[in-house]
Amino acid sequence: MLEVKGINVFRGEAQILWNMSISVEQGEIVTVLGANGSGKTTLVESILGVHHPKMGKITFLGEEITFRSSFLIARMGVSCVPEGRRIFKDMTVYENLEMGAYPMKARSFLKETVGWVYSLFPVLRERGGQIAGTLSGGEQQMLAIGRALMSKPILLLLDELSLGLSPKITKEIYGTIKKLHQEKVTILLIEQNATLALRHCYRGYILETGRITLQGTSQELLGNEHIRKAYLGL
Amino acid sequence: MSEFLMYLTNGIVMGVIHAISAIGVSLIVGIMKVVNFAHGELYIFAGYFSYHLSISLGVPPLLAMPLSVFFIFLVGIGMERTLIRPTYGDEMYSLIITFVLSIVLQNAALLIFGPYPNKPPNLISGATNIFGLYHYGNQRLLSFFISIGILVFIFYLIKKTWFGKSIRAVSQDRGMASLVGVDHYRVNMLSFGLGAALAGTAGVVIAPIFPVTPTGSSAISLTAFVVVVLGGMGSLKGCVVGGLILGMMENLGAAYISTMYRQIFGFIILILVLVFRPWGLFGQKTQ
Repeated sequence: MLEVKGINVFRGEAQILWNMSISVEQGEIVTVLGANGSGKTTLVESILGVHHPKMGKITFLGEEITFRSSFLIARMGVSCVPEGRRIFKDMTVYENLEMGAYPMKARSFLKETVGWVYSLFPVLRERGGQIAGTLSGGEQQMLAIGRALMSKPILLLLDELSLGLSPKITKEIYGTIKKLHQEKVTILLIEQNATLALRHCYRGYILETGRITLQGTSQELLGNEHIRKAYLGL
Repeated sequence: MSEFLMYLTNGIVMGVIHAISAIGVSLIVGIMKVVNFAHGELYIFAGYFSYHLSISLGVPPLLAMPLSVFFIFLVGIGMERTLIRPTYGDEMYSLIITFVLSIVLQNAALLIFGPYPNKPPNLISGATNIFGLYHYGNQRLLSFFISIGILVFIFYLIKKTWFGKSIRAVSQDRGMASLVGVDHYRVNMLSFGLGAALAGTAGVVIAPIFPVTPTGSSAISLTAFVVVVLGGMGSLKGCVVGGLILGMMENLGAAYISTMYRQIFGFIILILVLVFRPWGLFGQKTQ
């Protein structure tokens, strides 16, 4: 459903992504693994229309979205949990969730989705009226995921979910990802933590200095000598 | 005593009008990081529009007011589309453009409307006895209640509606707002229009009390900036409280110290606030 074909992306003068191709099919969880500075976030932002590639093509549900504005891509049903969460800090938890349901389509089932998100993250219900900036890191991450779910996305992009979270909360959040997958949400998971990511995915891509160097099923990648050394520390 | 209360009432009436005008500036600064130096000119133009609509064209004054505000709203949208939109990303350009625009509009007002103060007709005449203490002009009371109504409307708009929430989201994180599906170009355009309309509203509300003149516009912009800084950048509540403080200080100061210094009192408070609480009364400290 999402196809990235040979994109070259620049930030200013510097080329960040080189001839990159990935694809995600309906109902899959796919991971892109890479170290700091390998271009993971740029990849996510290119799919979301924040950066536009110099060459190559991105299609979503058969429509080309290479040069489309972010808000139009979001309205097509792509939602994201960006790196650093980026919740709306001065708004309440509930208002943050409402913002997630901003597209017209999503507003009509706002009440229902809020209920669904609250059942996934009961702590958000308790904190509904609280100013989002006062939440703890883990709660903010849950809020960011909740906000992304409010539009009932067709494709969910998750950028560095585990960053800065305690192992316990990370586990909880990954538990939720599993639940989401059972509810037929397609997920593209960007991670630094290879063990965690590969345990939860079907397929993975390895991103190194802006290029895809390896791809395969989770099992293949877990068995690969290079990956065991470089990413799993085995 | 009753004299003091009357000055105080004057201050409150002026204060809410200051607040409306300042919210117009504050919205535009908060959302677009654009300081609109032409704010005072929009205010003056609205005053002249309502004067000419009702005196020259014979439109009923109560209709002339919203009509003028609507014109100014369209002017604001036009400004954003043509002059401000190409400058996003460089705050210096928009600063220079609105500054130049302020001079151009001020001189245009001089050419079109002439240098004389113009006063639209009163909507209402007579005076009301307030608690048996003093008489207060009905026109001023009406302006006061209209202003309160507008403030309530603005708070409702910003706090409760989808448009208001998208405004707040864009002012906090423009990129993230567009990632949840907010068309930030449209939000910019409409909020610039809204900011202009608020300047216009203050203009039409005050014009029957204090006639507008083209050269008065700079003082109006400055007053609005003082209120915004006083209350704290980006805080609506701050605009209201800042407006009230300034309104009362001006009127009490003019009454008990000297009318000559009316303009100065605002700046004295501003300096004090900047020395002791530089982030304003309700603003947030930023690094």
